[in-house]
Amino acid sequence: MKNVIAICLLFGLAPAAWAGGYAYTIRPTELKAKPFSDAQTLATLAPRVRVEVLGRQASWTQVKADTRSGWVKMLSLQLEKSGQSRRGDNGLGALFNVATTGKSGSTVTTGIRGLSEEQLKNSRPDPQALQAAKRYAVGRAEAQRYAEEGKLSAHSVGYMSGGQ
Amino acid sequence: MKTKRTIIMLCLLGAALPAAAFDLGSVDWKKAAETVKKVQRANAEIDEPQEITLGDGIASNLLGAAPLLDNPAVQQYVNRIGRWLTLQTERPDLPWQFGVLDDNDVNAFAAPGGYVFITKGLLAQMNSEAELAGVLAHEISHVLRKHHLQAIKKGARAELLSDLANDAIRSNNADPRFTKLVSAGTEVYARGLDKKDEFEADRMGVVIAARGGYDPYGLPAVLQTLQSINPTDSNVALMFKTHPAIADRLSQLDREMPGYFANQENQPDLAPRFFQALGAGKK
Repeated sequence: MKNVIAICLLFGLAPAAWAGGYAYTIRPTELKAKPFSDAQTLATLAPRVRVEVLGRQASWTQVKADTRSGWVKMLSLQLEKSGQSRRGDNGLGALFNVATTGKSGSTVTTGIRGLSEEQLKNSRPDPQALQAAKRYAVGRAEAQRYAEEGKLSAHSVGYMSGGQ
Repeated sequence: MKTKRTIIMLCLLGAALPAAAFDLGSVDWKKAAETVKKVQRANAEIDEPQEITLGDGIASNLLGAAPLLDNPAVQQYVNRIGRWLTLQTERPDLPWQFGVLDDNDVNAFAAPGGYVFITKGLLAQMNSEAELAGVLAHEISHVLRKHHLQAIKKGARAELLSDLANDAIRSNNADPRFTKLVSAGTEVYARGLDKKDEFEADRMGVVIAARGGYDPYGLPAVLQTLQSINPTDSNVALMFKTHPAIADRLSQLDREMPGYFANQENQPDLAPRFFQALGAGKK
């Protein structure tokens, strides 16, 4: 959680919703003792039960329902909408933009550039930025090295049919 | 034989022609032949070098809208993850290029030829490397399936593409027709891709992340987080407008993923490396 906060401070953003947030069940949902289908079922939660989100492991979300903690299928939950105003609208983002513009020495006024529909329609090419981006490109060998460093290994998995 | 093929083409054109056209006596064959020629050109495949050139232009335009995040460590990290994922796909040798845009908007963009950009606003919604991988793999899928090129063809500028594509892309960037084509390509971001292409990119994205060794539930986890953002927040306006409802995307994945990834349940999400990599970029 400390890391999350550090990153949010770095970017000037509000933290993501996962840990510490609340969610509702969207269907009858078994609360399991462990994140496995054949684990002991502690309770069956009705739809629209509010639970506290503690964490996630693969397709399972750890929750606290009333006084009991356990695991439910992640997609049986809908996270509660964040009520508070967030990024950009809370003033922090604007502050961050000002700092960025100063730091990069750009003379572009904040407000002209951006990713809104209108701004995208009227954008002008920036070939210099494209060249700058290309400096970060990574080759095959480096990608494989970094994957190994993370103990990732490639698996053969076919595409899903899409119900066809 | 040639006439027969022309008739088939006319039938394929269907809606564009009045029913009377099938009374062969009244067909304006000259006009029909012109139309057919146009349709044939519109359907002509853009080859890979052309796709890359067009992507260069669109990516340059996108960077004109939002600058790159000035954080080499974060840029390098995202490129390492993205490039690894592309090695698990059917187009591993494109000049893949990833980038983080310095913008609070929550969004991601793919451009033809191998460009993938995500905003720092979206990055800040993530909680692990598997979540980042899921989002990058979704965007990579758009490139694999050339969804963007199809959107340009289908869009208002289809005629422009059919008339100009080949000549314009073969000539250099100074050609004003190329600029128009690039503008059309950039406008796709404001309009959005075909909804079925978004669903396809979700389906492919979770598989590509799983192939890369990640927890395949990274993408649905991000979608679930995005679903919790207040839809009136201006930072999600364009992403929400240009994509199918998140509830629909999640229920599609919920229909298909259980069982399919039974062997990938214990693949790592590398959350610690994610936070370390992003934190290391702190100045």
